[in-house]
Amino acid sequence: MMVDQSIAGPVKGMTGTSEGDRSGRARIVILLLCLGLVTAVLLSLTSGASDASAVNVIGDWLFGTVPDDAALSARDSLIVYDIRLPRVILGMLVGAALAVSGAVMQGLFRNPLADPGLIGVSAGSSLGAVAVIVLGATVLAPVTAWVGTLALPLAAFCGGLATTLVLYQVATRRGQTSVATMLLAGIALAALAMALTGILIFMADDRQLRDLTFWQLGSLGGATWAKIASVGPIIVLALAAMPFLARGLNALALGEATAGHLGIPVQRLKYTAIIGVSAAVGASVAVSGGIGFVGIVVPHLLRLLIGPDNRYLLPASALLGASLLLLADAVARTIVAPAELPIGIVTAIAGAPFFLWILLRKRGVVDL
Amino acid sequence: MIEARDVSVAIAGKRIVTGVDFTARPGEVAAIVGPNGSGKTTFLKALSGELAYTGRVALNGRDLSAMKPAEIATQRAVLPQATTLSFPFTVREVVKLGLVGGHSGVLPGEDARLPERALERVDLDGFAGRFYQELSGGEQQRVQLARVLCQVWAPVLDGKPRYLFLDEPVSSLDIKHQLIIMNIARDFARRGGGVVAILHDLNLTAMFADRIFVMHRGRLAATGSPQDVLSDDLIEKVFDCRLRVGVLPAGNMPFVLPQSAA
Repeated sequence: MMVDQSIAGPVKGMTGTSEGDRSGRARIVILLLCLGLVTAVLLSLTSGASDASAVNVIGDWLFGTVPDDAALSARDSLIVYDIRLPRVILGMLVGAALAVSGAVMQGLFRNPLADPGLIGVSAGSSLGAVAVIVLGATVLAPVTAWVGTLALPLAAFCGGLATTLVLYQVATRRGQTSVATMLLAGIALAALAMALTGILIFMADDRQLRDLTFWQLGSLGGATWAKIASVGPIIVLALAAMPFLARGLNALALGEATAGHLGIPVQRLKYTAIIGVSAAVGASVAVSGGIGFVGIVVPHLLRLLIGPDNRYLLPASALLGASLLLLADAVARTIVAPAELPIGIVTAIAGAPFFLWILLRKRGVVDL
Repeated sequence: MIEARDVSVAIAGKRIVTGVDFTARPGEVAAIVGPNGSGKTTFLKALSGELAYTGRVALNGRDLSAMKPAEIATQRAVLPQATTLSFPFTVREVVKLGLVGGHSGVLPGEDARLPERALERVDLDGFAGRFYQELSGGEQQRVQLARVLCQVWAPVLDGKPRYLFLDEPVSSLDIKHQLIIMNIARDFARRGGGVVAILHDLNLTAMFADRIFVMHRGRLAATGSPQDVLSDDLIEKVFDCRLRVGVLPAGNMPFVLPQSAA
């Protein structure tokens, strides 16, 4: 069992009379995170490889002020509306989905190291998505014809769901999850999913290969309104369902049996959480590939700030996840401009050392 | 009233509890005693709806197996032997989890102060802001009891008695806190609720139990009041230990009994 003792000493409440009550602090943090997200959105809309002025475009929308050169304004409008805005929205959706999925999985596995990327859920989703990309026009043609643009997110959802279910069965016995078993089973499942993905890649033609490589590294580059239309509703639905799990996940921190004693329908909670996480991760992987570490870094930072109460942790994770992914995307777009770095590389470079740092601090208690 | 008839429990094909009849009445403390591995905890888990069983259990006249977890939670609260937490919750946050079902039974608006009142009862006044994981085992156990008390704060709700299930509630406590916790249990029963407690200390059992259920190798070995049940013969048979009830130690060897508490 892992213990987080980073904040030493008693926790003072906001009013002094409610010692140990962090809900006031959590509300303030959530408010600040809202402001942070607005800032990140504006920053993302106004920066990019082109010199298009989002300020002019936004001013045009809001106040009808047309700048001197109407032709330039039309081009700016196109860049902001058709390129940057969908990318920002997709970034927010994916960032929120990954961070909240991480927080929910950690609650479900009762373990702060659970993360969709680390324990193979993303790999399972990738397998589903790659299967559709490579086999969509041949073997799976009847399926893809039937579900249309939803084929990719659906396949990613199924891959993620299968992995999560297997992982949960393997790693959890009588309501107790072993850290070692979870991580090792995750490695095994990820390896298996990647091997199967490898077979598919082996079968892919040159054009598919190029798509796949870039997609696997993770990128928000191909964001279009059509993609948002296909995965947006899934992510929004999954995110909207998660807050209803918050109280149950809090009780689950005491163990499955005790959560049941408190009146929580534990089985239903677990399966809702697994399906929600698979849907959110599957949809994210389908549009943006493997973007790692968001799900572990964001909830961990927030737990240090506002504590582990999921009623605040889940919305705060959504906000911080969205903001961080926009910032990571801004870095990815500008650091090697005019070329673009896959965002998965940015999140991994920042997230992997962070993960190691968590392990170092808690080495005694993880104890593999 | 809780009535169990011919309850048997098997885990992974192995019989742990066989044909136990058990009754817990409102207003009484029912103690379950017996050696390690005699099936006490397993039986309590069946009573609390955690383990599947054969036989019949009725909670206030209703078949337990037909009740939903949320409904059962309004009528009984369970204190497990030990609880580890997976995240750094404060003591107040842990105690407040007892209110998650929303049937503490106090007036609306008083819920907010309940964690403090519950902590005060278990002698943890001022601990609300501490981190649960930083506390000693005995303190953690009392925090969990405070949480359990919050869940069924009023011993009677809507005319129905409610129950405390306590699995070794004093196992890691010093003698002062053993007495405090047992007094909380007795007080809960006197105010109309019922208590089912697994105990190891036969003196505390004699002192606080209205009725004793002795378990031995998964079966019920004896039932009755402390006076009826606690005999030399029974203790030797069940605990495999030749002890004599009510005999002072020889010579000037000191002995301290909880019964002597003022």
